[in-house]
Amino acid sequence: MTDIPWSTEPIIRLNDVTIGYKEKEPLVEIPNLEIFPGEIVAIAGPSGVGKSTLLKTIAGLIRPISGSVEVCGKSFPNRPNRGELGYVPQSLGLVRHASVLHNVMLGADSGHNNPIPFIGFCFPSSLAKKKAIQAINSMGLEEKINEPIRRLSGGQQRRVATARTLAQCPDLIMADEFLSELDEKTIDMVLGEVTKYVRSSNAALLVVEHDITRAKMMADRLLVIDDGRINPFITEPTAMEVKI
Amino acid sequence: MKYFDRISRPSWLVTCVLIFLFSIIILNGMINDWGRASQGIGNLITFFNESLWPPDWSVLEPQAYPVCTVYPSFMDFTCSTAWIGMLETIKIAFVSTVFGTILSIPLSLLAARNLNPSWVSYSSRFFLAAFRSLPSIIWAIFFVILVGFGPLAGVLAMTVYTVGYLGKLQYEAIEGMTKVPLDASEAMGLSKFETAIKVVIPESANDLISQAIFMFEYNFRHGTVIGIVGAGGIGYYINLYLKFLQYDKVIAYLIIIFVVVLFIDFISIKARSYFTEEIDLPRSTWKSIFFPPGLNKR
Ligand SMILES: Nc1ncnc2c1ncn2[C@@H]1O[C@H](COP(=O)(O)OP(=O)(O)OP(=O)(O)O)[C@@H](O)[C@H]1O
Ligand SMILES: [Mg+2]
Repeated sequence: MTDIPWSTEPIIRLNDVTIGYKEKEPLVEIPNLEIFPGEIVAIAGPSGVGKSTLLKTIAGLIRPISGSVEVCGKSFPNRPNRGELGYVPQSLGLVRHASVLHNVMLGADSGHNNPIPFIGFCFPSSLAKKKAIQAINSMGLEEKINEPIRRLSGGQQRRVATARTLAQCPDLIMADEFLSELDEKTIDMVLGEVTKYVRSSNAALLVVEHDITRAKMMADRLLVIDDGRINPFITEPTAMEVKI
Repeated sequence: MKYFDRISRPSWLVTCVLIFLFSIIILNGMINDWGRASQGIGNLITFFNESLWPPDWSVLEPQAYPVCTVYPSFMDFTCSTAWIGMLETIKIAFVSTVFGTILSIPLSLLAARNLNPSWVSYSSRFFLAAFRSLPSIIWAIFFVILVGFGPLAGVLAMTVYTVGYLGKLQYEAIEGMTKVPLDASEAMGLSKFETAIKVVIPESANDLISQAIFMFEYNFRHGTVIGIVGAGGIGYYINLYLKFLQYDKVIAYLIIIFVVVLFIDFISIKARSYFTEEIDLPRSTWKSIFFPPGLNKR
């Protein structure tokens, strides 16, 4: 890891972790996984192997069967601070009957940029609103800003979920298949914006991407989950030295 | 499930017949004189001709006291007991639906199992079930004793019942929402309170609004009854004339209630259809309900 200049403390550190929904049916074993600020890591693997489950475990939404999960300096069951963790679920989790702006404001409000908490509730500040609009524009959705989510196409909805996370300015973005349903040009735009954010704010990006070619193209490291094991993709190393 | 898998179709039929026969046996056990039942029709015809019909529409005329001062004079039906009572019933239903909705939303948010640990949701459910377990007319008797006769008792009674009944509808709607938006906001680190206000309520708003409208309709129908125990509304007059055996007036009130109920039902269905369906979808036609789609093309 010495060749990575910004490697300080890892944002994600998993040790001997077994993930799954039921104790008796473990899905994946992860002996050791560390992801550092500024890194882009992709996870690939066949459908149903447990990629989304891994992201949910790191997001603290399901408990690991065993092992220690440490995210943003907090180990499970403690949670990262408000807004530090950005998560784009595979099925997005948008508020379908609310507008694009409302949904993206959820992210902007939860970000560190909102100063007025009141009984666990943040009123939108003008800064949050600016962040939200900026994120919506960067995803090319400025014309849909007041449209309810249910009237958007699948790919547009996916971009709203990405915008919600960008507006949050998180330290770690976990995106589950956030590029599916998009055409090549839009993929370039979305990926460009997210990469720009990650590089400029020294955040980390962990993506699930079933398309191996694209995963290799975008990521510094590619991990493949297969047979209940997580492995670095070694047959064709990417630009960076592949190492776990 | 296993049991029903094993039994074959004819035994299904036999089971249904047996259940029906069983109910007949129970009924027979409760009734010792079937002769009284057979006189019922005759009694009804006599009662209908002598006491009920024709309805006495004088209930739509202005009361003798207080003197009607409404101008122009064709509007003087607004001084009638039917109008005054009906309006009061509608007012009671409206106010208690609004108050009941405001109170039930926080309780149902607490009662939803997908938002709270089970000890919270079950305590909230306990209250909702308690409010719901008594029909509004019993609550009305209770509040008449507490605050005296009049619409205030009605409002309190219906509000309590609304909280119990609407709260249940609401937490079921909330539990029906998908988990992913909740996951997303939990991952972002939003507080429970924010999640409730900014995610759960907008996501289930359609259901909540349509249920509140349904509740108004329901409260109106039940509000016609609570006046019988003195809790305000048109039921007061029904009870009054029942006591004086003026059944032709009673039937006039009942017909008026029937018409207004139909009207409010209609409005309620129309209003709810804007919130339950996604407006972008084509509405189903009456024909498509009764005929298979193949026959529907022309
Ligand atoms: N909520 C759940 N409860 C129990 N089991 C689940 C749940 N969600 C997923 N699973 C199971 O866990 C396994 C892994 O699911 P997961 O969603 O992680 O797959 P995935 O690798 O993301 O697949 P895909 O590429 O199709 O999204 C699957 O076999 C699935 O049936
Ligand atoms: Mg998945």
